[in-house]
Amino acid sequence: MHDFWETIKHDHWVFPYLKKYKALLALIIFLGFMTFFCGGALMFTSGYLISRSAQKPENILLVYAPIVLTRAFGIGRPSFRYAERLTSHNWVLRIVSVFRKRLYEIVESGTKSIYARVQTGEMFNLMANDLFKIENMYLRVIFPSIIGWLLYIVGSIALGVFSPIAALIVLLVLGLNTIVLPLITLAIMGQRDAQQKQVESHIYTDLTDSVMGLQDWILAGRTDELVQRQENDFKRLGTLQTKDDHFDWWRNFTSEIIIGVVALILIIFATITFGHSQLGVNWIAAFGLVLFPITDALSSISQGFGELPRYTDSIKRLNDMDQQSQSEQNQQLSQVEAPIANEIKLNAVNFAYANSEAIFKDLNLTIAAGEHLAVLGQSGAGKSTLLKLILGDETPTNGNITIGGVNVGQLQEHRAEIVSVLDQQPYLFDTTVSNNLKLGKLHATDTELWDVLEKVNLKNLVAQLPEKLDTPMTEAGKRFSGGEKQRFALARILLQDTPIVILDEPTVGLDPITELNVLQTIFETLQDKTLVWVTHHLTGVELVDQVIFIEDQGISLAGTPEDLLNQSERFASLLVMDHGI
Amino acid sequence: MLDPRIFKFEGARKALGILTILTAIQAVVIVIQGRYLSVSLSELWQMTPLKAVALALSIFLSAFIIRQFLTVAKNYVLVPFAKQTTDQLQKELIQKYAKLGPTVISQNGTGKSVNLAIEGISQVNNYLTLVLIKFIDMSIVPWVILVYIATIKWEHALFLLFIYPVIILFMIILGYTAQAKADREYDRFNRLSNHFVDTLRGLTTLKQLGLSKRYAKNVYEVSEDYRKATLGTLSVGILSTFALDFLTTLSIAVVALFLGMALMDGTISLVAGLTILILAPEYFLPIRNFANDYHATLDGKNAFSDIMDILDQTELTDNHLYQAQQSGWQVDSQLVLENVNYAYPNSDQLALQDINLSLTGFERIGLVGTSGSGKSTLLNLLGGFIDGTGDVQIEGQRVPHLSQVDWQNNLQVMPQDPYIFHDTVRANLAFYTPQATDAEILQVLQRVGLETWFNQLADGLSTIIGDGAVQTSGGQAQRIALARIMLDQDRRIILMDEPTAHLDIETEMQLKETMLPVFNQHMVIFATHRLHWLAQMDWIVVMKDGAIVEQGTLEELLANDGYFVELQQAMKGVNRHA
Repeated sequence: MHDFWETIKHDHWVFPYLKKYKALLALIIFLGFMTFFCGGALMFTSGYLISRSAQKPENILLVYAPIVLTRAFGIGRPSFRYAERLTSHNWVLRIVSVFRKRLYEIVESGTKSIYARVQTGEMFNLMANDLFKIENMYLRVIFPSIIGWLLYIVGSIALGVFSPIAALIVLLVLGLNTIVLPLITLAIMGQRDAQQKQVESHIYTDLTDSVMGLQDWILAGRTDELVQRQENDFKRLGTLQTKDDHFDWWRNFTSEIIIGVVALILIIFATITFGHSQLGVNWIAAFGLVLFPITDALSSISQGFGELPRYTDSIKRLNDMDQQSQSEQNQQLSQVEAPIANEIKLNAVNFAYANSEAIFKDLNLTIAAGEHLAVLGQSGAGKSTLLKLILGDETPTNGNITIGGVNVGQLQEHRAEIVSVLDQQPYLFDTTVSNNLKLGKLHATDTELWDVLEKVNLKNLVAQLPEKLDTPMTEAGKRFSGGEKQRFALARILLQDTPIVILDEPTVGLDPITELNVLQTIFETLQDKTLVWVTHHLTGVELVDQVIFIEDQGISLAGTPEDLLNQSERFASLLVMDHGI
Repeated sequence: MLDPRIFKFEGARKALGILTILTAIQAVVIVIQGRYLSVSLSELWQMTPLKAVALALSIFLSAFIIRQFLTVAKNYVLVPFAKQTTDQLQKELIQKYAKLGPTVISQNGTGKSVNLAIEGISQVNNYLTLVLIKFIDMSIVPWVILVYIATIKWEHALFLLFIYPVIILFMIILGYTAQAKADREYDRFNRLSNHFVDTLRGLTTLKQLGLSKRYAKNVYEVSEDYRKATLGTLSVGILSTFALDFLTTLSIAVVALFLGMALMDGTISLVAGLTILILAPEYFLPIRNFANDYHATLDGKNAFSDIMDILDQTELTDNHLYQAQQSGWQVDSQLVLENVNYAYPNSDQLALQDINLSLTGFERIGLVGTSGSGKSTLLNLLGGFIDGTGDVQIEGQRVPHLSQVDWQNNLQVMPQDPYIFHDTVRANLAFYTPQATDAEILQVLQRVGLETWFNQLADGLSTIIGDGAVQTSGGQAQRIALARIMLDQDRRIILMDEPTAHLDIETEMQLKETMLPVFNQHMVIFATHRLHWLAQMDWIVVMKDGAIVEQGTLEELLANDGYFVELQQAMKGVNRHA
């Protein structure tokens, strides 16, 4: 619970928006209040109406007001409820739009141009899920609680007009329902929630292990053990849930009993206050019935509070992310226009990631305009880091990197005009083929699109699609094979038409024949560009002018493929191995 | 509304029986509660002193408390039954997963399978508790109340009875309208709601294209479009709730008016009028509660049939037909496949056709072909994870499929991405040999070249690795898989499915040096794109479109100058110098 208050105290994601959009919020609260008010008032006026009618008034006009009110409240209640639901969803979705933009900007500022394995789709799903949870928190906890409290206070004050003492008693007794029970719920659930989350994450890990590693479990003949383990996990969770359930049932029971008691108090109060006059007695039934339709509003506060700990993690994650991105805001260099020359030069570059060993020491490298360079090396040697440095995603600890004589740090704003990237997982968006291609050149004409598609050998494929260029890619480009996806990405890069193209293992995961075809298309279509190609094996290495090996914090081997083949035993043996028999 | 399969669970009839009885009692208590509240109010209205009304009031309060108590009691009856049932389902589901095997599970979708066993089960639980209680409430409570009201004033009972189907009718009509509108908007709606995740996943690409900053505006605009679309659907969608609400509230208001008239005419007493007024909302309450949980009902029902569908899937039986004749696979053991075919479910194309293979002793067999030629499918068939047609013999014993316990006890598999369990280094390495000593494990760690990696781990063999803990690179994962194989001396057949596809050439070369000695005294079936491995193979099987097009030794195949040579030339690639 302490954890929870801490989170709320430092929150700058969820609660500030309540203030920011307060007009709409007030409307929601008003509509919610009116829904329950009408519900209570309907029973109140009905109780009065029939009591008064039972006195057989000689003129129907004497009960005309309650008749009209009964109808009005009867229509008012569902109408207000309908309006409240629409308004509150509208409010929440409005906030979600703002949230999404904000979250996007945060993630954007931390994203590098080189694909990082840790940033999986799962993390993004998690973020989307966090937003969804916060939507729910507004709808299921915050709005109902405020409405419940408002009814509690307004109701007690209204009663105070007739009898301050009765109002005080009701205030105290109903306070058990609106304040004490919610706090108890929060305290108990907050404590259990931590335990429960632990078991839940255990179940998730174990089950993922079971399903993903199923082949091993079966072959090892250990499936009985797997079932047993899973069963134990579920049992542990079950025990915790049973405790939760029991608490919930008895809390609801208590809450209902409190309502019953308050109803009794109201009847007694009404009898004492109005029970002496012929006309006054009609109010007794009114007060006796008014409370029941409001019960839901009062008991939903506890329910909402019980869910609060579940949202804490999401709030915390969002807040943490904000802080991270703020600390990542680095000092921007003054930006300049893209240079005309495009020779890449690394001068005495040193680089290390925070708190780890140096990746490069005193690295010097010049990549002439139009040169085709292959970068080889074992995984972890620093191939990707080299690309990040050239792109300006990372800044050298010492030394500098220039393109056409300009520091890459100053080129970030116009970088997309000089450098493009083709990596192992080019993303195809869930929109049409044409929109995906146009990301490379926003105002490309259809002729231009067909032109590049022909170059990358996709013209026939796209021509056969049902809606040609306007066919949706379907989510994450699942419609197409790996080789085809790379070709689409290549088409996009052709449209972007930059003098320098970075190729980051673009053919990983393709079978050798497809791989070779794709590489040939890449080198053919990008013939006149500067190419920096990171690769983990040697298929197609004959296509480049220069090869370097990254190793031991620098370049251990460099030369043309021919030279290396003749002079370096290691290169020769690797090439033999890659070509196989 | 109720799936008849529910009644087949153990204890279902008993739990539902008790629930029905409790609900019936509760319905009577509700009537008593309403009646005595009316009596009290009516007495007080006649200016009877409070003390004289104390008995009626206390009966009301007692009924009120008993009613709440029965609610708790109903939970105590049904929840344990639901829990026991879902526990049972969960267990059966996991057992079924284990029996169906990895191939079927990955066809069903790994994430979906995990979700079904957790989320799905919890939805079924919800369905069994919430929904059953509300369903039984709806089937009993309103009718008991209605009968009681009829004894007081049948005209009102008739009105309430008449309005009930009208409410349901309106709900259905509006529900359908909403459904139709939702269906029409569904595509657009889905696309918009996925857009955010889609954009985040493509951020790296947007950044490369220099569009990432500008895209923030687009994110906002799409989200606003989504809002408008959602509200459009919602305004119709919640109309059915509105109709229900409107009609029930209005009915109560109408009842109150009628009662007023009747009272003024003196045709009924106040106590009767009040009773009807108080019981009218109770009459509508169950159906309102039920409607509120309609979605939980649907989710639960769907999850329930999904689970039942999986449990009904056929699995491979007769897993003990093959009885090993000697301890493990020996130099003279033989596996023969004759005319084996296989097609994936829902596909009329054969993924394997007319496979004829005869494998003996400790041969090393290379499996080559392009992507989709059937290499992995063949390995899955050999591993006993799928069931083809045709003739299979192990050591001369005819079996319907290779999902034989004794056969699988001989097998080890090294896939493209070996799975690293979220567990200790010790448990991961000794997965097939839980009895292995630490000394043996350490020795193997050294042999597979993981010593440097291992030495930097904080807790030695007890370090937790795998997803969400210490991560392993592709090369390290392969070495761990190799270590598992080395630790288990009894398994002599190794199936390899492109184990080095993701590795850089130097890592692959180092790993190859470690792997080759392991191949001794083993039968190895090695699917690969990397031709250099073929030099170490005794026999090569060349596949194309699910069929074996050539097989023989490397020399034979080269001399043959057939599809293999064509494949080899294509894989070898560009040769500017030739």
